[in-house]
Amino acid sequence: MKRKSLVVVALCLIASCLFALPAMSADKPVKVALVLAGFLGDKSFNDSAYQGLERAIADFGVEVKVMESKNPADWESNLIAMAASGYDLVLACSTQIAELVDKHAADFSEVRFGVIDGAVKAPNVKSIVFAQNEGSFLAGAAAALFTTRTEIPGVNDKKIIGWVGGMDIPVLHDFLVGYEQGARFIDPEVKVLVSFAGTFNDPLKGKELTLAQYDQGADIVMNVASNTGNGILEAASDTGKYAIGVDLDQDGIYPGHILTSMLKRVDVASYELVKDVVKGTFGGNSVVEMGIASGGVGLTDMSVMKEALGEKFPQDILDRIQELTEKVKSGEIKVEAYAGFQRN
Amino acid sequence: MFDDLSLVFNYTLVHATLRASTPILYATLTCILTQQADILNIGVEGIMLCGAFMAVTVSYFSGSWLLALAAAVLVGTAISAVMAVAHLRYKADIFVVGMAINMLALAVTRFLLQKVLGTSGSFYDKAIVPLPRIHLAFTDGNEILRSLFSDYSLFEPLGIVFVFLLWWLLYRTVWGLRLRSVGLNPLAAETAGIPVFRKKFEVMLYSGVVGGMAGAYLSLGYSRLFAENMTNGRGFMGVAAMFFGGGDPIRSWIGCLIFGFTDSVGSRLQSLGLPPQFILMIPYVATIAVLALALARKTANERRARSALK
Repeated sequence: MKRKSLVVVALCLIASCLFALPAMSADKPVKVALVLAGFLGDKSFNDSAYQGLERAIADFGVEVKVMESKNPADWESNLIAMAASGYDLVLACSTQIAELVDKHAADFSEVRFGVIDGAVKAPNVKSIVFAQNEGSFLAGAAAALFTTRTEIPGVNDKKIIGWVGGMDIPVLHDFLVGYEQGARFIDPEVKVLVSFAGTFNDPLKGKELTLAQYDQGADIVMNVASNTGNGILEAASDTGKYAIGVDLDQDGIYPGHILTSMLKRVDVASYELVKDVVKGTFGGNSVVEMGIASGGVGLTDMSVMKEALGEKFPQDILDRIQELTEKVKSGEIKVEAYAGFQRN
Repeated sequence: MFDDLSLVFNYTLVHATLRASTPILYATLTCILTQQADILNIGVEGIMLCGAFMAVTVSYFSGSWLLALAAAVLVGTAISAVMAVAHLRYKADIFVVGMAINMLALAVTRFLLQKVLGTSGSFYDKAIVPLPRIHLAFTDGNEILRSLFSDYSLFEPLGIVFVFLLWWLLYRTVWGLRLRSVGLNPLAAETAGIPVFRKKFEVMLYSGVVGGMAGAYLSLGYSRLFAENMTNGRGFMGVAAMFFGGGDPIRSWIGCLIFGFTDSVGSRLQSLGLPPQFILMIPYVATIAVLALALARKTANERRARSALK
């Protein structure tokens, strides 16, 4: 027994040496850790954050480590582990991780934290939040316009549109408020079906909820569910109905079934945060909001859908959306925000 | 309000219930096979997960759902063979073996997802060929008929066939009689000349076959993707349904339908504005209710059996 524990200790020592070596020899490049409340490969929020870091790697030669887990119990230990192991910038990507930064930022005053999708006030934290309500407003308007186009195959005569979210958290309600307002703005009679999967990592649940909404008369459903959303988009292509993508441009995943995607430029946010650290312009205690006006959110140009539908493509929807975009930009239309989502 | 209710309870619920109950049904059949030989196969969750991963991978690389199905079955059988050796030959506790398989499957599929398919979280691609869907052309004109009878994935109607086939095998054939006798009283079975060890081993392998099919259906029929931990407790719900039916395929199927029904109704109720927290509880509440029902019936039966002996 004693011998066994000696062996274990020896192994641990060797292992710690192995892991410690690179940290000691190469502290030149800026080291960035990305802590996710989920996984890469969602073709959405998390992938978008990583795309920004890939650009940062190419431009500044930074070193990047990604910590993925869908298990809430891991998020806190992942964040602390990264903060404690000498990273120059720890990116907390999602509201749930942001709350943990709020709790621990003071313990790691020498580490800089970049928070995306949450507002944390601390001298070593810079936060970026998005006006997802503005982008969703456009998505809701597009869906409400689209659901009346019965000449397009798969569109029924009911004025019902859908919305499926991941976890029931404030930032998703911010999406929802905008979506509902956008739909109402076009036609107050449009009914919006709303479901939460309760998780960002169960595509089957997302598919089941979406199919249920289609059965209930929706013909277009907006995805706001990270990895769960993969099931939402699949449901659209399986049944010949329609979806709206989120975060990244998801139009091409199932061409002809995804009307548009609400872009949320998480990649710009992660890139800018790294750039701040590299250039030495990182200022704590600040919250930056990215909305339509600053290009932080918006819709895609629907070109994939245009190609798939050919002459049936409702060009007037696109024109109307562009008109609405300008109105939101100029402040002529004021998009409601979810009060529970802290912006500053 | 009445309008809203018709959005929840209408003809489309039939199709949704069958679809949602099928993954649980295959898990249940997997458990029933071994339960009849008195082996509680909780490893079904892990077997399904590995089968699902294998099916997607092979389908993606070969473009053939048949090959994918075969590969999933092979993996399922291999895993159950390992479990059988551990439990039967080396007398390991089957519960522990099952848990080990479940944890291993979760980690291994995650690892292979990164190494073989080069992604994490979930994998989908146009090159994945799903199990065929049965489209009945004559229902095209009628929305209701189409929803009720058409566009099922091959394994959905096949699952119902399996229920009755297994029932017949268990209760109407010599093979089934011997298998049940092994489960009920191994000593008596051995005395009667039935090779208990071989019988148990054999049935473990069969359950691996069905478990592999369960996984293939999950990733190629129910959906067309692989996601980490995509079984998400469906295997355990299968175990619960098996207990509900007391190992009887037809009664267990009814348990699966209850699960499928509550899940589908839950999905619909939510979109009408009920708090999601309550709706998301439904599968778990249903599991507890189903097991409580099964237990109540079992104790009532036992009490009756005891009083009859007096």
